[in-house]
Amino acid sequence: MKRHVDDVVKILIGSALIAAGAVLIIPLLFTLLLSFEPRGYMAPFPPPGLSLQWYSKFFGSEYYMRALGISFAIALIAATVSSVIGVMAALCLTRSKSKIVHAINALFVAPLIVPGVVIGFSLLFFFSRIGVESSAIKIILAHVLITLPYTIRTNVASMAGIGETMVEASLSLGAREGQTLRRIVLPLGRTGIATGFIFAFAFSMDDIAVTIFLTSPTVYTLPAALIANMKANFDLTIAAASVFLAGVALLVIIILDRIVGVETVMGQGIYRN
Amino acid sequence: MFTLRWQLLFIASPLIVIVVLFLGPLALTVTESFRTYIPGDIGSTQGAPFTLDNYRDLSDAAYVGYFADTFRLSFIAALASMVLGYPLSHFIARRPPGFIRKAIVSALVILMFMSALVKVYALTIAFGPVGFGRSFSAMLGTRMNGSIMSEILVVIGLFSFLFPMTTLMMVSTIQNVNPRLLEAAVALGASWVTGHFRVILPLCIKGFVSTFIVIYTLAISAFVIPMILGRGQINFITNLIYTRFSEIANYPSGSALSVLMLLVSMVLVFISSSLLGRLAGSQKKQGTR
Repeated sequence: MKRHVDDVVKILIGSALIAAGAVLIIPLLFTLLLSFEPRGYMAPFPPPGLSLQWYSKFFGSEYYMRALGISFAIALIAATVSSVIGVMAALCLTRSKSKIVHAINALFVAPLIVPGVVIGFSLLFFFSRIGVESSAIKIILAHVLITLPYTIRTNVASMAGIGETMVEASLSLGAREGQTLRRIVLPLGRTGIATGFIFAFAFSMDDIAVTIFLTSPTVYTLPAALIANMKANFDLTIAAASVFLAGVALLVIIILDRIVGVETVMGQGIYRN
Repeated sequence: MFTLRWQLLFIASPLIVIVVLFLGPLALTVTESFRTYIPGDIGSTQGAPFTLDNYRDLSDAAYVGYFADTFRLSFIAALASMVLGYPLSHFIARRPPGFIRKAIVSALVILMFMSALVKVYALTIAFGPVGFGRSFSAMLGTRMNGSIMSEILVVIGLFSFLFPMTTLMMVSTIQNVNPRLLEAAVALGASWVTGHFRVILPLCIKGFVSTFIVIYTLAISAFVIPMILGRGQINFITNLIYTRFSEIANYPSGSALSVLMLLVSMVLVFISSSLLGRLAGSQKKQGTR
């Protein structure tokens, strides 16, 4: 009897999971197919053929390409700055034995707890009070702030793995601090540094909740451009852009998998060898 | 060991970033939320008198509706992610490393990294007039443009945002439970379902509670999902904050809403840490019994 109940429950769970999978994946497949729509408008499914017209519209659009370029440049600068600061913070957090380290650590992850919209709104306000005019600078500073928790965390994880003895040995053999940093610590921590950089880059490219408050008519990111068009003129250029963005996400995962392995996102557990 | 001079040099720049770009602006928002708003002006005039009106306005029935939507729909989506994520995460945690495990995990990680914009757009199209929106809403006995469909779309959108993350977080919790315990329970006559409820769930409850609070916090601070999928019929608190800034430039009211959101997130974090502390205490007691 009990086993029957089990079978029924397993079937129910199986079908619920299939439904969940369908909800997650079918809309994405739908978008993928529609991005090749040959008709010049959004028409009933399925498309009668295939065409790349929406892709050429997306890549030919000055508006979108400008947004893409700006997004890319901002992500590159913000991720670099955030990585440098993150490495410095991690060096101090892992090497210092002082008690206030815990408090500082909590302060560094605090931006993760605060909703993006609240951060964006507060920064908008702050920048207008202190008189920062340039949207590019505003967005870069904002992105450094929101990516910093990620770069600090990945760097703390990797720096903690570098034995104290390595640094001690280097310093006692006569290397100066700068040399030790350049020749011992940074090369040994490069996996964490690279992972943190990729995370920061991906989050910066994707952020909208903070960025939307800081854009201007000439400086806007790709997500901001797409959101504006999703509300105004809803056409399939956005489908092509979505497929492009999904491709970027895929690329990021492949690179991350090469560096640290995808399965490390959930740890190994203690009952697995 | 680096000298103190180097350590201070290292810690200075992240501290400056956090204090200047995070604590400073938040403090400014808190003071602004007490300023009097003069319609027509952008923001409050410098030195405007202090008032509690911005907060008093928030207790209006209309606002209570927005808050209720935010908390209710987020709760449904977070709960659905946990309930559906559990069997999948258990499957992943217990499966030996291999192609299928790697494929499922990779799919979840890709879905997690995919922009919320992509998911939102895909759902809008799939549930729109060229997709299966009409037949889906007919199946549920409602109209495609009705507010019930907007609610369902927001929940589905939140679900597709939360589900991959929830499942991966639950895997790391379940991995720390000895798989033999469930086998023992089943061998001793418990059904598979009872085994999960009486053995695995109590052992994982700490991790699951913290997972739930993390994803619930993420859900209530979602911005794009309710903005696009809510189609104007469903607005989250985050959307109100944006409207205060973009449409009517009422910064004091936006600030009051921001402070409210800040408090809610802080309370959730506080609840989770104190609850976890207590659960950890009770588990320790059980262990010594």
